[in-house]
Amino acid sequence: MTAAPGAAVRLVGASARLGLLVCLLAAIAAAQWVRADAGTPITLAAGALLLCALFAGTLAGELGLPRLSGYLLIGIVIGPHGLDFIPREGVAGLDLVKGLAVSLIAFTAGAELRLAFVRRAGLRVLGLAGALSGAVFATSAGALLALRPFLPFLRDLPLSQAVALAALAATVMVSFSPTVTIAIIQETRARGPLAELLMALVILGDLVVMLAFAVAAGWARASFGGPLDVAGLAGGVGWELFGSLAIGAAAGLGTTLYLRWVDRELPIFVCAVAFASAELGAELHLSPLLLSLAAGAAVVNLDPAQCAKLKGALERASMPVLALFFAGAGAGLNLSALRVVGPVALALGALRASTIYGTTWLFDRGEPRSSSRFAWMGLVSQAGVTIGLAALVRRTFPAGGAEIEALVLALVALNQLVGPVLTRKALDRAGEI
Amino acid sequence: MRSLLVFGVAGALSVLASSRKLLEVGRLFELAQLFASGLSFLAVGVLLGPGALRLIQPADLEQMRPLVVAGLGLGGLLMGLNIDLRVLRRLPGAVYSATFAQSGLTFAAVAGPVAALLVGTGQLPLGEAVGPAALLGAAASISSGHLAVLWSRSGRLNRARGLSVALLAMLDDLTGVGVLAVALALGSGSTPTDGLKLVGLALALGLACGVLLAFLAHGRGESGELVAIALGGVGLVAGAAAYLRVSALIAGLVCGAVLSLVGGKAVAALVRALQRIERPAFLLLVFLIGAHVDPRLPLTWALLPVFVAFRFLGKVGGGRLAAAALDGVLDVPPRLGYALIAQGGVSLCVVTEYLLLAPGASAALVFPVGALAALVNEALASRVFARSLDGPARASVEPGV
Repeated sequence: MTAAPGAAVRLVGASARLGLLVCLLAAIAAAQWVRADAGTPITLAAGALLLCALFAGTLAGELGLPRLSGYLLIGIVIGPHGLDFIPREGVAGLDLVKGLAVSLIAFTAGAELRLAFVRRAGLRVLGLAGALSGAVFATSAGALLALRPFLPFLRDLPLSQAVALAALAATVMVSFSPTVTIAIIQETRARGPLAELLMALVILGDLVVMLAFAVAAGWARASFGGPLDVAGLAGGVGWELFGSLAIGAAAGLGTTLYLRWVDRELPIFVCAVAFASAELGAELHLSPLLLSLAAGAAVVNLDPAQCAKLKGALERASMPVLALFFAGAGAGLNLSALRVVGPVALALGALRASTIYGTTWLFDRGEPRSSSRFAWMGLVSQAGVTIGLAALVRRTFPAGGAEIEALVLALVALNQLVGPVLTRKALDRAGEI
Repeated sequence: MRSLLVFGVAGALSVLASSRKLLEVGRLFELAQLFASGLSFLAVGVLLGPGALRLIQPADLEQMRPLVVAGLGLGGLLMGLNIDLRVLRRLPGAVYSATFAQSGLTFAAVAGPVAALLVGTGQLPLGEAVGPAALLGAAASISSGHLAVLWSRSGRLNRARGLSVALLAMLDDLTGVGVLAVALALGSGSTPTDGLKLVGLALALGLACGVLLAFLAHGRGESGELVAIALGGVGLVAGAAAYLRVSALIAGLVCGAVLSLVGGKAVAALVRALQRIERPAFLLLVFLIGAHVDPRLPLTWALLPVFVAFRFLGKVGGGRLAAAALDGVLDVPPRLGYALIAQGGVSLCVVTEYLLLAPGASAALVFPVGALAALVNEALASRVFARSLDGPARASVEPGV
């Protein structure tokens, strides 16, 4: 009988495997000289990022970091902004995986949302989410306006337009990362009040940002001379919110019936539901995140016994998808933005983190032993939602939008690197891992 | 949204294809074998593709290209995993002679008339007709052993005979892939030397990926991680091939052969992981290949009967030669050729690979004929397979073979 391999052996094993993979990728990149024009790089990006992420995740785990940090870092290293072993088009072509991963994560989070929890903690969470969003918005907008003389996209604007644009940028900066937070909770199998609170906060925070962004964008458009269509704005937000919930609930009902009556090939089935949610959500202008969340919540509240099977299937299906998704997210991170707007982003990042810390501290000052005192660490991450909103700002406001996007991307890059580590530490300190 | 449509159709079809009721209905029209083999997906792909109903557009096919490539890589990998070099070395020379006889005769029986037809009708000059004719000959030489396996499992065919047919079918796959390699050497580079380099690159890539995958899987238990390594491995070998525009099928085949040679528990677990995704991946690939077929070309319909008829003659004649070569060596059905009519998925992979890597008039001609012929031959094979058992029994087989 052989002894279980020790941590050092696993560390060396994962490093050797990762090293060989990177060497092979280097050889493939070098073999380009044979072909002047390359073929489709998407399959290569998917295969290489998945394999590298697996071993980078193991390596990170052995070093006491979240696996997710390993996924992100290896993506940065081998991606187009790093060693360039994975072509840019290959990373861009992983859109299907992005949608699938976000939906799978939201499905998982929804499956934890029991009505009992909502009744028990709903008001408190709603209050904290509102306070956090409001405080981060106010400090970010204030800081942007204070830094106005140094920010080219605000400097030359009249005050009313500068305020509107700063409010829009601040709304984007408020956003959290449900994907990162929930993925860390899933990875560490954390169970307890902090894990529940974090999941609820990032989801509610996402909803608040969704609503606030629509309002801020409408205001900014109007201040730049565009029309202010209040009815259209309300209709769009209402459809996105309630349409997502309704269609998600229907999908949840369908899933429950499948689990009860068919109960076959569950990992493939949940992937199919998540994929359909992502694609339909995008097509119908719904929120794929909210749609999948509602589907998961419907299953757990309609039939908790069937939900246990769903969670097992989600866990089996999620691992490769999440590894690929986060490695792809890392590969898409352009750290060169940090060189240009790094100091401002660093200052804004520090302000955001300290505002989150201060708000949670104020909210919890009557309950010193409350697990939510660590919550601020789990709310630092920013990812897909933030990047998506920043891109929307660039498309909507060609003048100044690109600079806002660069600033936000730099902020996201910082928070992506620090956030997962902090989230894991928070769960660890709360004794939920 | 378009990708959701493609996946939705493929998913719905796979549910229907596994439905017992539908198989019963299919039996009424003698189509059950098409449903069971999954080649009905090809027909639906043709129907929904840009050449017919246009529910799937050319842009969708372009978007699905990475999946086609991954499917070809997986096909090659699984084919390679079935090649056990240690067993192949121990096979008597008569088995190779028989394979060469039946696949070679079928190759000649199809390539000759196709070339004659192309030149005779003034479609292509002789020099340009050789390539498409040879590729169609290669596609024709390939047979599938799945009917023999099915009949053997259901007790209607002696197990030894079933295995013999499956062995010959597996070996003639290699002939087809060999001809594909030659065709790519001639057609995928700017010069034959260039083309040869690219085939060499595919071989080297397969070798490197095979060694690396064996190392990556080493020491991993049967787990989700192993499934992820299997998926990533397919993506890596097929993706690298597609990126360098060399054959994913050939690279996958070499990668699989290396894994098979390395063997061991980890590779066995990797194979089990791959087998779990084999069926859905095959069905999706066949569907997408079908969607690439443009049935509107008149020349396709002129070549198709020629291909099917001459392939049939080639297989029946080649089967006789093969049976004679195998007399006393392997227990084969008396009329072996009838057992080798099914064309199967490998031939589809061969013609698709040619379409992807050597696009042009020649590939546009070869691809739809090879793909549609696979469908026709599947229907034909299910009707004539029973005839392979008619006739006098051969001499008994030497013990130990």
